[in-house]
Amino acid sequence: MKIAWKEMKKNKTRFLILGSIIFLVSFLTFIISGLANGLSQDNAALIKKLPQGQFYLDKDADKTYNLSKIDEGVQQQIFIDNPEATAFSVQMGFVNDAEDKQHSLAFVTSTDSELFENVKEGEIVLDRSLQEDGIQVGDVLTNNQFSGEFVVKGFVDQQKYSHAPVAFIAMTNYQEMYRVMEMQTIFIPGKDAPTLSALDSFSNKEFLHAIPSYSAEQMSLNMIVWFLVIISGMLFAIFFYMMNVQKIGLYGILKAIGMKTISLFKMIWYQMLVITAISLVLSIALSQAFSFVAPEGMPFHLTMDTVWMLSAVFMVVGFIGATISGFQVKNIEPLQAIQQGEM
Amino acid sequence: MSAFIIDEVKKTFSNGEIEEEILKGVNLSLKEGEITALIGPSGSGKSTVLTIAAGLQKASTGEIMFEGKDMTKMSQEEVRHIRATDFGFVFQSSHLVPFLTVAEQLQLMLDVSETKTSKKEQVKAIDEMLKLVEMEHRKEAYPSSLSGGERQRVAIARAIIHRPKILFADEPTASLDTNRSKGVMELLQELTRTLNLTTLMVTHDEEMLPYVDRVITMRDGYIVE
Repeated sequence: MKIAWKEMKKNKTRFLILGSIIFLVSFLTFIISGLANGLSQDNAALIKKLPQGQFYLDKDADKTYNLSKIDEGVQQQIFIDNPEATAFSVQMGFVNDAEDKQHSLAFVTSTDSELFENVKEGEIVLDRSLQEDGIQVGDVLTNNQFSGEFVVKGFVDQQKYSHAPVAFIAMTNYQEMYRVMEMQTIFIPGKDAPTLSALDSFSNKEFLHAIPSYSAEQMSLNMIVWFLVIISGMLFAIFFYMMNVQKIGLYGILKAIGMKTISLFKMIWYQMLVITAISLVLSIALSQAFSFVAPEGMPFHLTMDTVWMLSAVFMVVGFIGATISGFQVKNIEPLQAIQQGEM
Repeated sequence: MSAFIIDEVKKTFSNGEIEEEILKGVNLSLKEGEITALIGPSGSGKSTVLTIAAGLQKASTGEIMFEGKDMTKMSQEEVRHIRATDFGFVFQSSHLVPFLTVAEQLQLMLDVSETKTSKKEQVKAIDEMLKLVEMEHRKEAYPSSLSGGERQRVAIARAIIHRPKILFADEPTASLDTNRSKGVMELLQELTRTLNLTTLMVTHDEEMLPYVDRVITMRDGYIVE
């Protein structure tokens, strides 16, 4: 593949322009994807952080968790049969700080479990984003539905629900605030969680869609990201195709002197691979750096799984574009290719 | 003995519904160690004969016999293999690979022809070939820095570095002045003799005819002389 490399070295500007386009388009895709994932995390980090398992809702809740009320007898029986089961409830609300500033949040309470923060009566554990709002450990917070006060015991990272920071409180405090004794949801971790005839069961993914607005938001965001991926992919394919069609005269000369078709394909693939790989490495590095410099309030979450998946998509479409142009080179007679190159 | 025979070759081009017969049955045989020149007015079909003979485009009908085998019956891969190992081609405007140096152009041809010699021997062969065409001093130069005559010398060197049996040259002196044209023809003549090549060239320049062994005249798709 010396010839492919020599061409790239000699025609740096042409390949640099093509590489820059691939870099910019892939960088844009990574950033948009990071923002979409960030919004998704912002909406449901509380649920997404739970291990694989099954969620159970009351059958009368019409698959909507905040309408669900699980009968205490049913809950006790489940706990006897499945000691690792946890019941939890979530309700949106707000607290006022010492300066009477209101903070919107999602109150979460649960039975004793390692999966949720266990707090004592009158205590509250908050998502760290509230610390950035000026709330400190030891601060006293109030709520107009709660007769007592909450003392801030600590902060936890990345615990968001419905775009609001999560506040873990004791079950008795929650019951007083929302005047409800039943829990909304039961969660049993593990792949072999049982099917319970009295309740509707949901996988982690299915349960996320039970969160109001989650499905609609995710569908819109995914649509944006995949449209961008498809358009970027088509751009990649078109650019590689155009680059090779522009060089048809060169391929004609190489065919005329007897170069094998597979060698021409290798030359096309090698250049595609080098340009795409360098561009992707740069855009991955820059998009990861972006996560450190992104403004505080901007939800940006770009996992390496997403990066590898998008990179693989770009590689595949780049390969397809290059291969299509390769077939055009393969099928053309050398003389016709040379004459086309002279036009 | 004829090394290469073209028998009743016809070529028709279609342009929409209009079909134009460019070659109307061409018969020609080439001999080893000889330069054969195809001459004739523009549009007479001489370049078409040359490119069909060299396997750069297909004939519509007829036979092209090389070493007893009909090239028109061969697969694309078989024709490519012949182009890579047994044929050399000099184009009218040299058509060197723009991003390779003079030495690399020759190395590319050795690689393409899958010449089974050591790297050291290949380097020696390239040096000798460049000396033969008097281009050893421009070994590391790129085509863009060469004059027209120099480019054509390199193109000739590339066409014969792998020791082909037949050399095809399409108006190799068309883009050169008279002195340079004569230099290129002297070189072709010398190489044909010393390497025992079979050379078929197209020219419209009658001043080049003293350098060839045989002249064939074409008109309107036929050989007339």
